[in-house]
Amino acid sequence: MAIVLESLAKIVFMFLLIMGMVPALIWAERKGAAYIQDRTGPNRASIGGVRLAGLVHPIADVLKLVFKEDIAPTHRHRALYALAPWLVMTVAVSTYAVIPFGDYLTIAGKRIPLVVADLQVGLLYVLAVASLGTYGIVLAGWAANNKFTFLGGIRATAQMISYEINMGLAVMGLMLIFGSLRITDIVAGQGGMLFGWLPMWGVVLQPLGFVLFITSVYAETNRNPFDLPEGESEIVAGYHLEYSSLKFALFFMAEYCHMVVGAAMISALYFGGYQVPWLPRPMLEKHAGLLLLIVLVATIAASLLFAVLFMRRVARERGKFGDARDREPKLGAGFWFLVAAAAAGALALRPWEIGPAGAGVFASLFQVGAFVGKVVFFAWLFIWVRWTLPRFRYDQLMRLGWKVMLPLGLANLVVTALVLAAVGSGK
Amino acid sequence: MEAFLFFSCGALMLLGGVMMVLQRSAVVAALWLVFAFIAASGVFAALSAPFLAIMQVLVYAGAIMVLFLFVIMMLQGPVLEGERKRLALPMWPAVAIPPVAVLVLVGSWLSRRHAEALPVQPAGFGSPGQVADLLLGRYLLAFELISIVLLVAIIGALALGNRERKLPWS
Repeated sequence: MAIVLESLAKIVFMFLLIMGMVPALIWAERKGAAYIQDRTGPNRASIGGVRLAGLVHPIADVLKLVFKEDIAPTHRHRALYALAPWLVMTVAVSTYAVIPFGDYLTIAGKRIPLVVADLQVGLLYVLAVASLGTYGIVLAGWAANNKFTFLGGIRATAQMISYEINMGLAVMGLMLIFGSLRITDIVAGQGGMLFGWLPMWGVVLQPLGFVLFITSVYAETNRNPFDLPEGESEIVAGYHLEYSSLKFALFFMAEYCHMVVGAAMISALYFGGYQVPWLPRPMLEKHAGLLLLIVLVATIAASLLFAVLFMRRVARERGKFGDARDREPKLGAGFWFLVAAAAAGALALRPWEIGPAGAGVFASLFQVGAFVGKVVFFAWLFIWVRWTLPRFRYDQLMRLGWKVMLPLGLANLVVTALVLAAVGSGK
Repeated sequence: MEAFLFFSCGALMLLGGVMMVLQRSAVVAALWLVFAFIAASGVFAALSAPFLAIMQVLVYAGAIMVLFLFVIMMLQGPVLEGERKRLALPMWPAVAIPPVAVLVLVGSWLSRRHAEALPVQPAGFGSPGQVADLLLGRYLLAFELISIVLLVAIIGALALGNRERKLPWS
């Protein structure tokens, strides 16, 4: 029973992490795109005058998508048309089962590994689930019975099959080095130091493998520069053209879930996952009090800074709009003052005198925080790349996959194997 | 638990196979085959062969069937004349779900009766390392011969498919 509850808690945590990041990423995508293109971006939706720099827009989006009429083409294949969005979403969220989001958490003397399912063949599971992701897209394209959606589906299939191979080859290098297909083993193996100062992260040991892997992940998630399946200028919106309302929302959400999961995979396999560089677990536990103090002081400083910025807006924009929007700076300043006060209140509890049990929990949470931080960064990288690079042409995409990346991946594998054989550290 | 998984996945696999044969639409048939493959991977998992289970999905469901589907879809539009007479959506789950439920029930009943039929395997059985030891050790010759057969098949397919075009070696 305890194990069921434990797994359930972990599943819920990961699900909330992903689902919570989806609206945040949609916001980041819009704002990021706007700033990269020298615009302001969305800032009109508001709740009682609070606009949160456009953060209210995802809520408006959800409302719109829920209440929109669900228009479906008459000539669709009914069952498969309904099945496709569901399939896409299921595949998008099932990868996270094998990604460790922390090392372990000790509660009441019980050691809980922070991963939903610690599969022996976790790495292969990721590849298998990713390969199933093709079905949702190709079915959506086919079942809608529209030439453009069909072209999108066909493009997606060819692209995903081509880049899956590269992804597998890139990951095989890691497998050779860490001698395991278990993702927790790979993350744990990245905790060491190379030459005593360089973190033994996958990206350090397998720089070429990392480049190949991140490129394949971008292609697998159908994000720019590889978003040929939904190339607007050529095939309107690609495979999800004929979907509207919540069915479209599922495709939209699945894309962002794929981004989060892809970012989690990149950080787990190549950037040490939950490992904090130069701060291994024993050190985290030893200096828990000091670190907690630093975290709290940093929170106070940051929220005071935000509060001061809002106060300046209050002074500058007095009565600027003449409606509810004028309240926003005041509310913002108040919110950040409250956060600062809460952190100061936590300081009064003397956190530097934290006990060993508390230190363990703090170390676990700190590592989870490190993992989430890395995931957020790589999710942002997806957006950054999308608004920086132009889209590939289809033949260029295929040439890159088969004629450039595949030989590079094979070469990387051979060189890795040779080096490991020479050093004699391969398992 | 393993016995339950084994028998219900086996039953679902049979269902997938039967449904595949009964379909009129080639695309839907291919999807039922995928369903059967995934159920087969469940059977492997229940037999404590995780590596085989994942490989089943990765190779058959994820790669081979995607290519099959690709070809079928290129050749066939979504709605064939004969298919129009088939059941509409509201009927479809009503027809498909009860057999699944019945099969799972039969599976659980069988698993009660034959729970001891599944032998308990030693630790590490079916792990990637063990599979590799067998494939690249004891059965190395057969393994390499199969890869040569596949290579010959690929070259043969290329030669047959490209009859009109001049190949470098013809």
